Amino acid sequence: MEIKTSHTVKYFAIIVALYALSLQAVFSQESNGASQRPVPRWPDGRISFTGPPDVIGNWDGPVGASLANDKIYNELFPQTRNLPTNLEIEDVPFQPWARKLYETRRANYGKDDPHTRCKPSGGPRMFHTPYGFEILDLPDAGHIIFISVGTPHSWKVVYMDGRPHPESPEPSWFGHATGRWEGDTLVIDTVGFNEKFWLTREGFPHTAQLHLIERLSRPDFDTLRYEVTIDDPGAYTETWSGGWLIPWVDGNEPFDYLCQENNLDGRHMDAIDN
Amino acid sequence: MTRKTFTKIGMFIGLVVSIPTAMSHHSFIAQYDPEQPVTLTGVVTNIDWMNPHVYFYIDVKDPTTGAIENWGIEMGPPHMLQKRGWKRNSMKIGDVIEIEGTRARNGSTNANARKVTMTATGIVLGTASSGQTITSGKSD
Repeated sequence: MEIKTSHTVKYFAIIVALYALSLQAVFSQESNGASQRPVPRWPDGRISFTGPPDVIGNWDGPVGASLANDKIYNELFPQTRNLPTNLEIEDVPFQPWARKLYETRRANYGKDDPHTRCKPSGGPRMFHTPYGFEILDLPDAGHIIFISVGTPHSWKVVYMDGRPHPESPEPSWFGHATGRWEGDTLVIDTVGFNEKFWLTREGFPHTAQLHLIERLSRPDFDTLRYEVTIDDPGAYTETWSGGWLIPWVDGNEPFDYLCQENNLDGRHMDAIDN
Repeated sequence: MTRKTFTKIGMFIGLVVSIPTAMSHHSFIAQYDPEQPVTLTGVVTNIDWMNPHVYFYIDVKDPTTGAIENWGIEMGPPHMLQKRGWKRNSMKIGDVIEIEGTRARNGSTNANARKVTMTATGIVLGTASSGQTITSGKSD
């Protein structure tokens, strides 16, 4: 199956691109202006991934971002937030079956994404899902918790107390995560994933062998830099990395988002009438 | 660029402006067909003010045959609508509504709204999903 490129879709893509450029300009302007705000730090000097007490806001996972640059997706939904170091999609070291699956998912416009069935969105998928997420640094408890509205209404615990991974972690949506600080960068090592989610909305596959090393830093007040190394010999022939920049949005706060309340998307996309 | 080209581009501006939120929960293009813009006027028969998308349903009368079809109209989640001025009672069963949006790819009587107009008052509301083009109106 191939994505249609009729004249109408081309017009659509042109306008999307123009909009993305304007959006990028807005982000840049906001970043340039707001980034004059100092990056907040805790009393002990450790970098903070939240706002200072007088600033409400949180991080909003960008939809225009993926782990690799994909020209076909880029025509429809410009990937304006990708890291400049991201691979081209042709260079991603897929196992043959994994590349085929990725291309099938892309050809279906991502209609089978488990996220759209309100399934939890583990790994990188959490970090480019909108509606906001917060990073709660709890040194007394010995862990950092990510709470995310869009994934939906879920959290991920990162143990910062030096514990190792269990020998045989129970496969789960968010895995078993341990973290450490390398200067101002939070490094998260996660294993023990199930195979029930996609790594991104574009449909990067993975297996239960997935091992992620995620690196988060805050180069300026308004930007969270997310980079992840994917180590999954079941789906990829070698380790590879990708990531994107996540904007801070003033005023954002977590809200109730129980996706399963009335989700009709799955059946609509499976071509069943209302 | 021809007038026809401008018209086509204009048809999609609203859709485009909404892309970030349209992608919020599902891939917009997986569920809706950009080549099928629709404008519908009908009477509200039901409102599901729930996550992940607020849906409302309208009875739409075919001007030629008089037949009535019930359409399901998708918007964004309640919280995002509230941030754009909606209240739970901004729309009531029995209200006459005009929507501009995009029809479901599967050909069913579902659409994603990018603009909602309350016919009686002319109030226009954004939809926090496939369209945020016009949010100048105010709700009651």
